[in-house]
Amino acid sequence: MSDTWTDRLSEYIDGTLAKTERGALEAHLADCEACRTTLDELRRVVARARALDDRPPASDLWPAIAEQIGVSSGAHRVVSLAAHRTRRRVTFTVPQLAAAAALLLLLGSGGAYLALHRPPAGAIAQRGDLTVSPVGWVEKTSSRYDAAVAELQSALEQGRASGRLDSATVRVLTQSLVTIDSAIVQARRALAADPGSAYLNQHLADTMRRKLELLRRASALAPART
Amino acid sequence: MLLNIAAVITLAVAQQTDTTVPVRPGMRLDVDNFGGEIVVKAWNQNSVRVQATHSSRDRIDVQVGGSTVSIRAESRRGLAQMVEYQISAPTWMDLNLHGVSTDIDLDGVQGAVTAETVNGEVKCRGGSGQVSLKSVQGAVMLQNAKGHIDVYSVSEGLTLENVSGDISAETVSGDISLEGIESASVEVSTVSGDVTYEGSIKDGAHYHFATHNGDVTVGIPDRTNVTVSVATFNGDFDSSFPVSVTNTTKHRFNFTLGSGSGRLELETFNGDIRLRRPGNLHDKHHDQEDN
Repeated sequence: MSDTWTDRLSEYIDGTLAKTERGALEAHLADCEACRTTLDELRRVVARARALDDRPPASDLWPAIAEQIGVSSGAHRVVSLAAHRTRRRVTFTVPQLAAAAALLLLLGSGGAYLALHRPPAGAIAQRGDLTVSPVGWVEKTSSRYDAAVAELQSALEQGRASGRLDSATVRVLTQSLVTIDSAIVQARRALAADPGSAYLNQHLADTMRRKLELLRRASALAPART
Repeated sequence: MLLNIAAVITLAVAQQTDTTVPVRPGMRLDVDNFGGEIVVKAWNQNSVRVQATHSSRDRIDVQVGGSTVSIRAESRRGLAQMVEYQISAPTWMDLNLHGVSTDIDLDGVQGAVTAETVNGEVKCRGGSGQVSLKSVQGAVMLQNAKGHIDVYSVSEGLTLENVSGDISAETVSGDISLEGIESASVEVSTVSGDVTYEGSIKDGAHYHFATHNGDVTVGIPDRTNVTVSVATFNGDFDSSFPVSVTNTTKHRFNFTLGSGSGRLELETFNGDIRLRRPGNLHDKHHDQEDN
């Protein structure tokens, strides 16, 4: 499923195609079921992203984790997601619509910590900010995501080293992270081979979100024995 | 011989606490435990009875506040380690239970439930309103509950039976089984495990079942009105009844049953997706029937 119009569908959704291109694409859609289906799926991604509740976390994430595992949180300023909410654009103007969905998912589940690292308002939706290469959004998204995951994992490791986290629990968490990482690797490979697949884009985004969610939940459950 | 000595020593230092406090409707029970278990059985009395087995060095602190009964163990030497709680509480009472290396077992409760543990199983028979059950290293089982249901585990499976309301069930490594479900909103996902669903598929409702490594099997009642989206990367689709596939892409296709009012999303990266009639979910090979 890939033709010359595939990468223009998101522009079509956003209404940014030139009038002549729009007419040509609509004519193409009338004859191409694959593109119609892809268009439907992209519209669903947009709808799902719009429906996401990027609620602020019940409590500021990082200070709670830091307190529970005994590391300083002073270097990490927590900002309000609510303050950012009104500035969030929910239009998607890049072929990799799932990039925005992934970021929103991560923000929704990862909370304030990731808010520290999110780009300026609207940046994720600006044309040219994301590369046009088929899996460019993965690379772009992953840099911030990986940084967040690495720091959370480091925090968990410090919790283990300090004895606040039971070694068996850390082992289970590590095994689970390996399981998720394996799934992420598989999804990335599949997406590289079929970058136009809305399912694979969404699946990768969901799996990445799950890794962050696991770290967040595990950190929240980690006992603070005082 | 060593075991016998250890048992004798344990018995020698074990202590029983048995106390009962009156409660008023609307009060909540909070229990915080490190190791051992929390067992709560509902009864029809407006009082909470706490029976605890613990070290003689520990003391069970039961505090009755304006809106809560709070139970925790305190130790004269450091932190209390192992406490086995057997608690009787009114059926209406909301429960807020937390443990570390603790099994949690609840029976007959009718109020809201929050039960979280790091290393241990969570079993709950009953519950209404907000029901949230979570464990890192332990299976989670919920029966006969209704309301907003949220169940989560990291390394074990989830089982829900005879549950109604909005449902969210998520684990990383483990199967997820749902039976006897009445719901208009079900969100289920695991990374490594099978997903099985048998319950209502309502008009206008939304159901999402996803796994990375595992099969997804769903029971579809007769005369169901739902639009089904099937996505798999390495796997097959198999239905015990005829379907007319539309909107096919490389990894996803859709079809409609009846009016297509509801929405059912089935996804597995490595695994098969099976549709069966209720009662035949575990049939590996289907016999085609008329839709």
